[in-house]
Amino acid sequence: MPSPREGTGIVKVLATYSIKGGVGKTTTAVNLAAAAAASGSRVLLWDLDPQGAATFFVRVKPRVRGGVERLVGKSGSLEANIRATDDSAVHIVPADFSLRHLDLALDDTKHPTRRLAALLEPIADRYDVAILDCPPGITLTSESVFGAADALIVPTIPTTLSERTLEQLTDFLAERPPAPMVLPFTSMLDRRKRLQRDTFARLMTDIPGFLPTAIPNASVIEQMGIERSPVAAFAPKSPAASAFARLWGDIAARVWV
Amino acid sequence: MVALLTDFGFLFGDPQTVTTTLVDTFDGRLRRAGLRLELRKSEQLELVLSGDDIVPARLTVERAPSVLADLPRGPFRSRIAELIDVRALAPRLRVRMNCSTGVWRDSTDKAVSIAELNEGARVLGRPDGERATTIEIHEVPGYAKQAVRVREVLAGVGLVEQDHDTLERCAVESGVDLAGFKGSATVPLDPQMAAIDGFRAVFANLAVAISANWQGAIDQIDPKFLHDLRIALRRTRTVLRAATSVVPTDVSTAAAEGFAWLAGATGPSRDLDVYLLEWEHYTGPLGPEAVSALAPVRDLLEQRCRDAHLELEQTLQSDRAVELITEWRAWLTEPLDRADLPRRAERPLGKVVAKRIDRAHSALVEAGRMIDPDTPAEQVHELRKDAKKLRYLIECFGSLLPDKPRKRYVKHLKALQENLGEHQDAEVHIALLRSLTPELETAGAGADTMVAIGQLTERLNQTRIASRAEFAERFADYDSHRTQQALDAALDAISS
Repeated sequence: MPSPREGTGIVKVLATYSIKGGVGKTTTAVNLAAAAAASGSRVLLWDLDPQGAATFFVRVKPRVRGGVERLVGKSGSLEANIRATDDSAVHIVPADFSLRHLDLALDDTKHPTRRLAALLEPIADRYDVAILDCPPGITLTSESVFGAADALIVPTIPTTLSERTLEQLTDFLAERPPAPMVLPFTSMLDRRKRLQRDTFARLMTDIPGFLPTAIPNASVIEQMGIERSPVAAFAPKSPAASAFARLWGDIAARVWV
Repeated sequence: MVALLTDFGFLFGDPQTVTTTLVDTFDGRLRRAGLRLELRKSEQLELVLSGDDIVPARLTVERAPSVLADLPRGPFRSRIAELIDVRALAPRLRVRMNCSTGVWRDSTDKAVSIAELNEGARVLGRPDGERATTIEIHEVPGYAKQAVRVREVLAGVGLVEQDHDTLERCAVESGVDLAGFKGSATVPLDPQMAAIDGFRAVFANLAVAISANWQGAIDQIDPKFLHDLRIALRRTRTVLRAATSVVPTDVSTAAAEGFAWLAGATGPSRDLDVYLLEWEHYTGPLGPEAVSALAPVRDLLEQRCRDAHLELEQTLQSDRAVELITEWRAWLTEPLDRADLPRRAERPLGKVVAKRIDRAHSALVEAGRMIDPDTPAEQVHELRKDAKKLRYLIECFGSLLPDKPRKRYVKHLKALQENLGEHQDAEVHIALLRSLTPELETAGAGADTMVAIGQLTERLNQTRIASRAEFAERFADYDSHRTQQALDAALDAISS
């Protein structure tokens, strides 16, 4: 299936996305950014969630210049909002609370579902990867993300409810071609629980394209809130850091064929 | 300095001995593209790809890469792949220094400015000079004001801002040219200068290219060295042929004979290089099974290529080759006895060159018109050689000719050459495959290999037939009024 962005720029746009909240989208976005940078990519992380957790994790002040209306408006650009993180190969477009009006701001534009892609276009040759950290739900923002992304990275907790929302997403996208590639993976896996282990194994076999690396439910990931850094920066030898590096390898193998 | 910056709010880590190697191709392709590739060795080995206004990319490696294939697949490799192509990556400058990094963080502990204190920087492999201390302030994107403030503070205590960073300064002070070898086919020429002076300038320029690529071809650093050496030798031969009645006969005869021998010696190696470089392109469409079955063929080609290179190495190191180049260079640099020159030597260069190019063009057109679908391949190959010679003449005397009509003319000539080249490469490679078959059979190659050779031969044959079928159209495009007009406009400008 062709990507909605085929033929534009150099950058590959990935979005950590899920209809469901609390599944590890933001920690995935921040840690994948670090793993991509460690393997030689120049990364732009774009925090689209008004909670600004990705912005918080990389210690950048939550501020969108002129607010969301100016950012996505006719003369808006990402350039003025880009900040470096402590990793020189990872830059971020931070979020602030004004992003709670992102749907409304997009609705005011001429082509709302293509607006995020248009904003990424001018910086497409400066980065190898753009990672969009998305708020949960299916909204106008999500549709604009689908119009911008080459692939959706979908954290999936090994539970029935999470599996159901993944189905909802794939059904939704199937009705709206061309859709981005969907790359689900298991997030917050607790290997001590047999039900989770079984669900993980089943997801791997039942869902085409399901990525083989599972991210563990580890306290070191929770510590990101204290350390305000990706796991690899403060616990480089932890199983979680290794898992994110492997997950990045899985994604890169699918996206850069 | 550290104390001053510490008072300002910077926190410095322990100094580390860092050896940084600037890596580029022989002809400085990365630098020309505005990129810088550094190999930094401290606790680990790291490649850093950066440039002006470019977000740096980092990659931890186990050893220094020397060719593209040494880098893992991914965006880092993709960014430089087209640029460096088959060229090898080689160290251009190696600097060792003690490096301390200071970070200034804001109230949220976010780094807002980076200071790098480099002490005792010295270029390795060069005489030990003055070891200066420099401090580099790195602006953190999104935090420009902080970097400005730090620079103001440093200027306030008398520090002078430099145009170059530590590595560039080391290169300048130790006389290392980071630009790399930039060979050009032509040199500045004046249509009114004496023909002998113009021809000598062109020969001297080609002699520089021959010398620059000589050792690289012997050492097989990358296939481009042999390619460029071969082109420089062929161009020299072409210009020698055009130098009749300009260069003294004794000089041109000896040189023509010597360069013909040398250029001929480079042929087998280059043909095999091309075959191996094109291998994936040739065999890929046959499918994985055929590619796997063709492994013994590739092994044999590689073996032949190694043998051919060995032979070439011996030729390039032979007394005859060394003597030829030494005598040629001597003639190019020694003062001319202007009293004893051939009759056209003192004529205006523009007129002589215009006549030779016009004649070569007419000969090519005449020969091309004789080609029909039944013409033997050898005759088509001769046409290809004529087209090459004409192109070399235009390139070597390119600075004489006005750009616009020259480029217009070369565009059509190039299209014709591509067609002839495709045809000839297929011919050569089919013949080479046939020559390998008996040896493969003797070595016990399986039936699957023989079937795959048949498939590959058929594919090459299809390419040969297709290019031959396309010839008439390409030649008609070249043999046209507008091409003639472009050539006339280029030559009129230098022959009046």
